[in-house]
Amino acid sequence: MAAGAKLTDAPKLVHVTVDGTSIEAREGEPLLQALLNAGFDIPHYCYHPKLSIDGSCRLCQVKLEGIPKLQISCNTPVRDGLVVHVDDPEVHLARRGVEELLLLNHPLDCPICDKAGECWLQNYAMRFGSRFSRTRDPRRKRQKRIDIGERMLLDQERCILCRRCVRFCREISKTGELHIFNLGDRSVLDIYDQRLDNDYSMCTADICPVGALETKDFHHKIRVWFLEETASVCPSCSNGCNIMVCTYKNRIWRLVPRRNDAVNDTWMCDSGRLNYRFVMDPERLRTPRIAQQNGQVDTAWEVAVQEAAAQLNAFRARHGGKALGAVISPHLTNEENYRFGELIHALGVERCAMAVVRGKYDNFLIKPEKAANARGVRELGLVAGNDDGVDDLLAACEAGQIKGLYLCSEDIFHVIDPDRLNTILGSMELLIVHSLKQHPLLTGAAVIFPATTFAEKDGTFTNHAGRVQRIRRALQLPAGWLTEGEVFTRLLNQIEARQEQFDLSFIWQSMARNGTAFANVRFEEIDPDGAPLHNLA
Amino acid sequence: MAVRIVKVKRPTQPWSSMRPWWAVVVGLWVSTRHFFVNLGRFLRGSQDFTVHFPEQRFVHPPALRGMPVLVQMENGKERCVACGLCEWACPTTCITIFPAETNNEVERYPEVFDIDMSRCMFCGYCEEACPEEAIVMSRQVEISSYSRQGSLWHKEDLLVPISQLKTRIDYLRSHYER
Repeated sequence: MAAGAKLTDAPKLVHVTVDGTSIEAREGEPLLQALLNAGFDIPHYCYHPKLSIDGSCRLCQVKLEGIPKLQISCNTPVRDGLVVHVDDPEVHLARRGVEELLLLNHPLDCPICDKAGECWLQNYAMRFGSRFSRTRDPRRKRQKRIDIGERMLLDQERCILCRRCVRFCREISKTGELHIFNLGDRSVLDIYDQRLDNDYSMCTADICPVGALETKDFHHKIRVWFLEETASVCPSCSNGCNIMVCTYKNRIWRLVPRRNDAVNDTWMCDSGRLNYRFVMDPERLRTPRIAQQNGQVDTAWEVAVQEAAAQLNAFRARHGGKALGAVISPHLTNEENYRFGELIHALGVERCAMAVVRGKYDNFLIKPEKAANARGVRELGLVAGNDDGVDDLLAACEAGQIKGLYLCSEDIFHVIDPDRLNTILGSMELLIVHSLKQHPLLTGAAVIFPATTFAEKDGTFTNHAGRVQRIRRALQLPAGWLTEGEVFTRLLNQIEARQEQFDLSFIWQSMARNGTAFANVRFEEIDPDGAPLHNLA
Repeated sequence: MAVRIVKVKRPTQPWSSMRPWWAVVVGLWVSTRHFFVNLGRFLRGSQDFTVHFPEQRFVHPPALRGMPVLVQMENGKERCVACGLCEWACPTTCITIFPAETNNEVERYPEVFDIDMSRCMFCGYCEEACPEEAIVMSRQVEISSYSRQGSLWHKEDLLVPISQLKTRIDYLRSHYER
């Protein structure tokens, strides 16, 4: 770096000539990245924008003027006046040669490989590989299906030794489990003294360009070409990692990270990635339940909404709105929570609380709050205090000031001592609940609405840093199902005699009008990387 | 705008197709030949002009695309590895596969392999897509059933020993450049 240059200086933009056309690139960045940014489709395996340069695959070779031999573009820093040829017979020949050498010992088990369909080796072999093998020697044998970790499998035959996973374990997870052993043709990827059990181990399967590293969770489950991808946000903690929800036949088969440099780069943690089975849990409530003389019975959605509205109106007439408490869910979207805020305002509720489950965290992606939208509730001003009003609400319940509760989430069951909660819930006159499952504490509830998960609705989440991000419906709900937002809207319509729909853009206009922090962001600007609520600069 | 008219030189048609009457002659020749062949048989006292189904069965040529079946190897196992390419290639989506894992050398096998024969249109795409020669179109064409459940063929019903499918597999290898 030149003397006196500040570290914060923006990189200088320089011009590079590629096949006769001039492109702009930042000085010093890898030439491969500049070419990819400019839309040139340069094949590569070992280069990853978030990892260090390795230069082991030799596939990204390009011709540079003034240099007699081909150069790998990933390890060539951009400088001004560089003249590059990528569409050159020499370059094509080199790529064909590299591909043939990589395929020399690659087993032809694409039919049973889980990577088939999204495998880079497969794609490039289709593009410029040879159709036939010229070698007469047998393919080298290696170990297959090695159990290298709690969640990972290793297939040494398929490995092309690009060292992406090795660099990931050294640089990103900083645990360094994977290594390349031996030299030359005998090189092999393996673990040495510790198993691949770090919290981000499944990212190695994402960055593996072939099927050498596979997750046990997705092993032999489904072919990737059947999967439909929906851009969404991970619901497991308040970091809000961007993900793709992969669905087929109305089931989630896996979650994979989606690149967002402001949040999660291209990574996500294993616990978040594996936390999707609750969506397909057969024990989930599928119909609303209302209390009758002989216990709770299943009923239709409209009936349950009517019942809840009637109960709320009767309760308000009996005790007034102050006697009703609300527990807000950190799992609902901003729009739903805003609508719920309108509802409790209409009812005259004064005490609101939010229970958030806390757990293990680290200083990379995993955050202590195990809910996606706790920050959103605070930004809306619905809860206050260090513990988000939980103690205040429970103390008021125990003092008899509060005689009815509206629970939007079941997280409070995991936060508060069950015995204390049992006595509190038992003393309530009215209990309306949104819950994923039937719970023993909910036997006294007047109405239980089945909760809707992140994969089944549209909306936005606010992550721990105040970044609003979009989630999308990936699964189809049964006919007649009402999401929480629709239930709140219908209740509001019944109580205040309004005629409203649950419409995202309408709610965003309303949020902006009423001066919440969400006025700083326009709904249309959220895609695809999210938008910060507060300008940090 | 200047208009330029280019006269495109059409490729010359082969002699036979330029004269439709030639096709009439060929067709008449086929009919006449069959007439005289059958007349000769009749005069020699033969009565067999048709195949007496079901006592007699016509041996279909190997090019026939009958019911798709799964190849059963000598060890009794299926060749299929549940790669799902036939499921993907199938235009009528009549194939359903659920893969599973074993400790055998070929680690993957279909736990469920169902073909809904009432939807199958015998196009042979599954056979063409298969990388393992595991699903082939057999000569079996008598696949009617009394119920809709009966037209759903499971893996056990679909397995046919490889010895019975040899003609079709040989035909495939010679015709699909395998």
